[in-house]
Amino acid sequence: MAMSLATINKKLYKRYHGAVRAILRDGCIVMQGRLDKWADVIDACSLAATKYSTTHVVNDIVCEEAQDKPMRLPALTDDALEGRRPDVLVVGGGISGVSIARELTRWKLRVLLVEKEADLALQASGRNDGEVHPGIDLSKGSLKHHYIRKGNEMYAQVCKELDVPFRRVGQYVCFDKGYLKPLVALYCLWRKRHDGISDTKLISGKELHRREPNFAGDFKFAISNPSSGCVCPYGLTIAYAENAVQNGAEVALNCAVLGMEVENGVIKSVKTNRGTIYPKLVVNAAGVFSEEIARMAGDRFFSIHPRRGTNSILDKKAGAFMHSIASIKEITRSKTHSKGGGILHTVHDNLLVGPDAVETYEKENVATRRESIEHVFKKQKKTMPHLSEGDIITYFTGVRAPTFEEDFIIEHGRKTQNLIHCAGIQSPGLTTAPAVAVDIAAMAVEMLEKERPVEKNPDFSPVRRGVPVLREMDDAAREALIRQNPDYGVIVCRCEEVSKGEILDALRSPICVPTVDGIKKRVRPGMGRCQGGFCSPVVMQIIADFLGVPLSEVKKSAAESTITFGRTK
Amino acid sequence: MRTFDTVVIGGGPAGLAAALSAHENGAKVLLVEREARLGGILKQCIHDGFGLVRFGEKLSGPEYAERFIDDFKKAGIEATTLTFVTRIKKENDAFFVTLVSREGVETVTAKTLVLSTGCRERTAKQVSIHGTRPAGVFTAGTAQHLTNLLGELPTKKCVILGSGDIGLIMARRLTLEGAKVLGVYEAKPTPSGLTRNIHQCLHDYDIPLYLSHTVTRVFGDDRLSAVEISKVDEQMRPLSGTEQIVECDALILSVGLIPENELAETLGAELDRKTKGPVCNAQLMTSVDGVFSCGNALHVNDLVDYVSESGECAGKNAAHYKPKPRAEIAMEASDRFGYVVPQRLDINADNRETVLYFRSRDVLNGCTLKMHLDGKEVFSKKYPFLRPPEMERLEMDFSKFPLTASSRLELDIEVKANG
Amino acid sequence: MDELVCIVCPRGCTMHIEKKADGAFVITGNGCKRGEQFAVSEMTAPMRTICTTVRTVFPAAPVLPVRVSADIPKERIFDVMQEINKVCVKKRLHRGDVVLQNVLGLSVDVIATSDLLREEGR
Repeated sequence: MAMSLATINKKLYKRYHGAVRAILRDGCIVMQGRLDKWADVIDACSLAATKYSTTHVVNDIVCEEAQDKPMRLPALTDDALEGRRPDVLVVGGGISGVSIARELTRWKLRVLLVEKEADLALQASGRNDGEVHPGIDLSKGSLKHHYIRKGNEMYAQVCKELDVPFRRVGQYVCFDKGYLKPLVALYCLWRKRHDGISDTKLISGKELHRREPNFAGDFKFAISNPSSGCVCPYGLTIAYAENAVQNGAEVALNCAVLGMEVENGVIKSVKTNRGTIYPKLVVNAAGVFSEEIARMAGDRFFSIHPRRGTNSILDKKAGAFMHSIASIKEITRSKTHSKGGGILHTVHDNLLVGPDAVETYEKENVATRRESIEHVFKKQKKTMPHLSEGDIITYFTGVRAPTFEEDFIIEHGRKTQNLIHCAGIQSPGLTTAPAVAVDIAAMAVEMLEKERPVEKNPDFSPVRRGVPVLREMDDAAREALIRQNPDYGVIVCRCEEVSKGEILDALRSPICVPTVDGIKKRVRPGMGRCQGGFCSPVVMQIIADFLGVPLSEVKKSAAESTITFGRTK
Repeated sequence: MRTFDTVVIGGGPAGLAAALSAHENGAKVLLVEREARLGGILKQCIHDGFGLVRFGEKLSGPEYAERFIDDFKKAGIEATTLTFVTRIKKENDAFFVTLVSREGVETVTAKTLVLSTGCRERTAKQVSIHGTRPAGVFTAGTAQHLTNLLGELPTKKCVILGSGDIGLIMARRLTLEGAKVLGVYEAKPTPSGLTRNIHQCLHDYDIPLYLSHTVTRVFGDDRLSAVEISKVDEQMRPLSGTEQIVECDALILSVGLIPENELAETLGAELDRKTKGPVCNAQLMTSVDGVFSCGNALHVNDLVDYVSESGECAGKNAAHYKPKPRAEIAMEASDRFGYVVPQRLDINADNRETVLYFRSRDVLNGCTLKMHLDGKEVFSKKYPFLRPPEMERLEMDFSKFPLTASSRLELDIEVKANG
Repeated sequence: MDELVCIVCPRGCTMHIEKKADGAFVITGNGCKRGEQFAVSEMTAPMRTICTTVRTVFPAAPVLPVRVSADIPKERIFDVMQEINKVCVKKRLHRGDVVLQNVLGLSVDVIATSDLLREEGR
C-alpha cells in the first residue's frame, strides 16, 4: 500500500532532520535535498518507494560522496550513421535490446540498434549467472511476475531457434530448519494456486541428497523448481543480435547516444558519436544508463540505483560436484533486495558461484573485490562444503540496474510520445527477455501503425546457426567437418578444445568483433583454466591474419585495449 | 587402426627424451605434439643456461631442444604435430588414443603411454588479484611467447609479480628490448627463482626485488594503467594500510607452474597433492598400469637436464613394460620436504638406479637427509644448504636394502640446532 | 672482502673474495675452478652473454633467436643490443650460422641458436 506524501516526509524528517524531502511532480515522488552518504540516499529513496508501484521515486538528492565518473565513451568518432532514418532505434545491446531488435525484424521495419561498448552483452547481460528463473519468489502484480512464466516457457523454443545451449537443470532452495517445512509447504501451495507456479515441489533432505550427493548433509528439505535452467547469457545475447542482423536489422557497436533533440514531446533526432540519427521511435534499453536516456528524451520518471554483484567461475573439475542450481535459505532479519547468490552448474560445465548484491553509485565500476568472493564462498560452502576457492579460474562483477520500486518499467514514454522504455531490468531480466521483447515489439508496431501500416516481414527466419562446437561432436561428425575444412582439426585452445576453424567462423559471423575478448565470448578460447595463457598469442595471430593488420593492431576489447606495442625490432 | 608400442603425448624436452629412449629400447613409438613444431616451451626460452648438467655447455632453449630433435629425426621416430589428443580409453591392457589434426580424427592403439604434457602457469585470478580486467596482464610465459616468438613488445613499463625463474628471465629480456621493469615483487620472504637468476637477471640490470610484497589490485579500463602493491604478513596475507599505487602499463605474473594432468586424471591416475603430478614409482609409472609420466607434468623442474632425464627413464621403462602385479611401498617423506619423486617403490621392479628428486619445504642450512627402513637408518647425506627453488637429485640403489611389501621407508631432513 | 654469487652454473655458490696487497684475489666458497675464474673476472672485467632475437623477413618466423658466441664486457650489453637490432635476416640461416661477425670489434660473433628458419622453409 502506498504511503501518502505526508507520511513519507514525516518519516524522512525523523531520520534525516530535514536534509531531504519528497515532493510530487508529474506523478513521481521526487527526492530532494543533500546527504553525505550514498547508503543514506538509498535508504531515503527506498523509504519513499513502494514495491512494484508505478509511481516511481526520482532521485535528485545531492550526495557529495557519490560523484560517479561520466559515462565511458567509445574512442571512435565517425559519421557512419549520419542521417539514418530507422523506424526503430534501439538503445542498448544487452539482452533486452537485442531481443527487442530481433522481434521487431518479424515486421518490415528498419531497425537500428546502437551499443556504446565494443561488443554486445558487455555489461549486465554478460555479467550475470545465466539462470533461467522459475519465478517462485515473485508476487503477483509486478511486471517481473507477469513475464517470468512466459519467459521461462519460451526458453526451450528460443534457444533451439537461436542454436544456443540451454539446460533445464532444476533449482533447489535448501533449508536446514526442519520446523519450517509446513510453512514452506503452504507457501508453495499458495504460489501454485495464486501465482501459477505449478511445477514447484517440496523434496526431503534425503531425496535432495540422492540427487546432489555433495550437498551438505544437514538439509532437512528443499524446494525443487524443475523449470529452472541455465543458459550462457552473453551467448544468447549475441545469438539474438545475429538473428536480428540476418533478418535485416543493423547493429552499430562503439556507438553511444550523446543527446536528443526533443520537440513538443517528440524525439526528432538522436546524437551519437557516429552521426545524428532521425528515428521514428526510440526504445530505451540502456541498462544502468536508462535513466540518462530517459532524461535526454525529456521523460525521466524513474531512477536507477546501481547494484553490484560478483560471480566466480570454477574449473570444470569442480563442475562434477553438482549438476543443478542451488541456494540455501537462511532465516535472517536483514532485508536484502536480491538473492544472496547460489551455485550453478553452467551450460559449459563449470560451476558458477555468486552473485552478491552491493549498492553502489558507480554505474560502470566492474572492478572485483576480494571481500565479495570471500563473502559469497562463506555462504555457499554451507550448501556444498567442499566448494573451494582453489578451483576459481576467474571472477567478474556486473552492475544491475534496478529502480527503487524493484520492478521493470515496460511502457510508452509518459511525456515523450515516440519512446518506449525497457528499463529497470534486473534479475530475472534474462528469463523475462524473450517475453518482454515480444510485447515491446508489438507496442512499437502499434505506435508505428498510427502513421502507416506495418507489414509482416515475409523473409523473417527465426533460425540462427551458431558456430559448430567440435568438442561436443562424435568422432564421425567431427571427422566429416575436418574433411571439409582442415582448420577444424587445428586445436588452438587446449583447455576448451577450440579449433582454428571455429575461431575463423566467429570472425566471419554476422556481427564480427575481431578482438581477443570478442572471439573468447563467441567460441571460448581463453575461457578455460589457463585463461588464455597458451592460446591468446595464437588467437591474436589468427585475428591479425584475418584482418590483414600487424599484431599490435589486435585489441583485447575496446579501441584502447592495446595488447602489444609493436615489434621489438 | 595404427598400432604402436608406446605413444608419447607432448613433444617438449621430456617427450623427446622419452620417445628417443623408448625407441632405443626397441619400442615402436609415436610422438604426439599439439603445436606445429617440436620442442615445447623451450622454443621460446631463448636464454642460455640449458644443458650444463647433460652437455657441460650453456645452451639456449632452442639449441638444447634441437639437439634432441636432430637425434629424434635421425632415429626416424614417427611424430605427428599440430595434433591434439581428445580422448584416451583403456581396454584390456591396450590404450586407444584419439587424435584430432588437420587430417581428421584418428584412433591409434598403444601398449603404453608416456604423458609428457608439461605444465601451465598460474593466473592472476588464481592468486587473488582484483580490480578491473584490462589488457596488459600477462603470465610470464605469454609475455615470453609474444616477445621471443612473435617479436612483439608486450610492455614499455611493467611490474613483475613473483620471483619464479621465468619472471626473472623476462625481467632481463624485456629490459634488453627497451622496456622498463619497475620491480619484481614476491609475496614470500625468500625468492622463488634460482639465486643465479636473481643476480644475472635483476642485479645486473638494477631491477629491484621486493620480498614480502604482492600485487592486490590492477587499475585501468582498457589498458592497465597502474597496480596496487601491498606488504604481506607471514601467511602472505596483504596488510591493510601498506598499499601503494605503482603506475605501469603491464603486470607480468610468474606465480607458479601447475603440472598439466587432465589426461592423467581422465585415466584415473592418482595425483600427488604436493607435486600436482601423478604419484609414480621409480620406473615413473603412474598408479595406472602402463601409463608413465615425466618432465614438468610429473613435477615442476628448475633444470631441463632433469626433465630429459625423467623422460628417458619413463621412455625406457615404457618400452620394457610387461603387465605384472606390483608391490609398492610409499616413500614416506617428512614435513621438511616440499616433495619427493618418486613417491613409491615397486619392490618387484629393478630399483638399482633409482633417481630421487626432492625439494625442501623451507630454506635449511647445514642439514642431513636421512632414510630409515623400518626404523633403522640405512642412508644419510649431508647438505650445506637446501633451498625450495633448487631441486636436489639423488641416485639410490635400493636393491641394497632388504625391502619387503610391508617395509616402511621414511625420509627426513635433520637440521643442526645452530644452523 | 666482497661477497658474490656465482652464476656460472645453477648451483649458485656464494663466494668470498679478498683482494691482497699485491692485487691478487683469494677466493673462498667456490665449488669448482670455474667459480674462481668467474670471481676474478667479476672483480676485474665482468663479462656477460646476451641472448636475444633478430628480425627476419619471414612472416611465419618474424624473429630468430641468437646469442653472442662468447661473453662480452658487461658494460657493452646495450651497445651490442643496438647492433643486433639493426640486423634483418633474409636468408634461411641454420643453427650456429653467424648473423653478425665480430660485433663492435669485440671479437665475438652473433650466431643463430635455432633451425627455425630452416624448418619453416620446408
